[in-house]
Amino acid sequence: MTSNEINMIIAGVWQTVYMTLVSTLIGYLIGLPWGIALTVTGQEGLHPNRGVYRVLDVFANIMRSVPFLIMLILVMPLTMLLVGKTYGSTATIVPLVISAAPLIARMVESSLNEVDHGVIEAAQSAGASNLQIIFRVLLGEARVSLISGATITVGTILGYSAMAGTIGGGGLGDIAIRYGYYRYQANILWTTVILLVLLVQLFQFIGTMISVKMDKRHN
Amino acid sequence: MAAIIEVKDLYKTFQTKDATVEALKDISLQIEEGDVFGIIGMSGAGKSTLVRCLNYLEVPTKGTVLIGGKDLAALTSSELRELRSKIGMIFQNFNLLMQSTVIDNICFPLLIHGTPKAEARKRAEKLLETVGLSSKAKAYPAQLSGGQRQRVAIARALACDPRILLCDEATSALDPQTTQQILELLRKINRETGITIVIITHSMNVVREICHNVAIVENGEIVEQGLVEEIFTHPKSRAARRLIIEGKDPDQWEKEQEKTAAHGSTVPELHEHRRIRIVFTKNSSYEPVIANMILTFQEPVNILKADTKDVGGVARGEMILGLSTDKGISDRQIAYLEERGLAVEDITDIAAEAGVN
Repeated sequence: MTSNEINMIIAGVWQTVYMTLVSTLIGYLIGLPWGIALTVTGQEGLHPNRGVYRVLDVFANIMRSVPFLIMLILVMPLTMLLVGKTYGSTATIVPLVISAAPLIARMVESSLNEVDHGVIEAAQSAGASNLQIIFRVLLGEARVSLISGATITVGTILGYSAMAGTIGGGGLGDIAIRYGYYRYQANILWTTVILLVLLVQLFQFIGTMISVKMDKRHN
Repeated sequence: MAAIIEVKDLYKTFQTKDATVEALKDISLQIEEGDVFGIIGMSGAGKSTLVRCLNYLEVPTKGTVLIGGKDLAALTSSELRELRSKIGMIFQNFNLLMQSTVIDNICFPLLIHGTPKAEARKRAEKLLETVGLSSKAKAYPAQLSGGQRQRVAIARALACDPRILLCDEATSALDPQTTQQILELLRKINRETGITIVIITHSMNVVREICHNVAIVENGEIVEQGLVEEIFTHPKSRAARRLIIEGKDPDQWEKEQEKTAAHGSTVPELHEHRRIRIVFTKNSSYEPVIANMILTFQEPVNILKADTKDVGGVARGEMILGLSTDKGISDRQIAYLEERGLAVEDITDIAAEAGVN
């Protein structure tokens, strides 16, 4: 490998990390309230509302059923509007967020639904409002599950970001496609694969470490 | 003293997909300030629903609940939340925040009602002292035993200085010794603060141990209520009598009934006897009544059970006798006992049913 190629790969790593983390962050800004709303309006929720739940639920299903590669192309006009171009890692964040948000909403919903109903009842009996229950009970009690969900989400987004390489999305996936696939440079292909694996391992390690540290349910 | 809790003509129906379940039917009761009031019944009798109506965790279908004279139905949701802070509640499964420390659990009700953090902490530490867990402030619930967790739950329930404490099967998940300790703690809190305690339980032992008044709930209705001492001595309803003989828990009773039904009684000839239950009060304990009765009638009696029980701090002797099959003699024997001031009760039907022998 030439030093140019090495520099390119290093830049690729940063682009991948950048896309993944920024998309996860923005994804949670949308997905977290969405998931909370799903839990709260659900049948067993704090404030059941069939109509609102139905809309949020169907919307999540629709967005989740569009394959990411198609989503990339579908949202191009929006990407153009927001970023001003449709290639490069910043542009890729737009479809990444749109794909990740409903996934995150579902993760959050299932994490929050795990919280023991008795604990919620205890909070209600103490006079807590629904908002207080969401912030002081649900999110706190479900934090381990939420962190696990976030770890899975990061891995998924990282995978998606590599896929965006097919349309010039930047990052390691982009390099793997251009050098490994179009130019048959096996060494670069394998280097990017190994780096992607290492990145997933790293995120998983950090996620697991945080959730273990946070979990006080075991002696 | 005025009634702090007043329930009038309360109904609660649950609508399931294919049926309407009447969980509570025409419940009326009054609980005096400072009382320890038991609500006893078998599982599924509706007692948990009833206690949840007292703080509107369940909204009744019909009827009124007055707390300190205030109709809960007339309150706005923020007024209701404010009132709930004055009604503490503890549960069978403790329902603590598992990801928060003991002290944070106790601070929770204070913080949600806007108490400054430092002040909440100070109050929580004092409560921990009351329940005897000062050393566990920084521990997490998972590190505590069941009894300790319930102590934390009690401290949390008392955080906002409530006038009422609702206990929903609070000792059902605990072993007998821990149950004793928790009941002792509740008794102490009742004595020292004058707080009104409502105890939901399926165990007659718990009621006998701590309650002054009791309501017996069966199939969503109150079948009997009054002083524990009175009901223990003269139970009127079938449910009360079943609960009191042998002091068995109703669930256990059911099981034994099934067992008897399945295998038949081991001593069938005893069923021919007439069964009575007598309760000795203080005065009746001096004379050897039973021995004198046997001498008077020259007729043997069968002592099936004899026991002393602590009813609200007073020792009560209890005896179950099998009398002669001759109704003439047994009637006179009962009259003889009643003349001597004993509470006598014919339990032949119930005893036969449950196979007491």
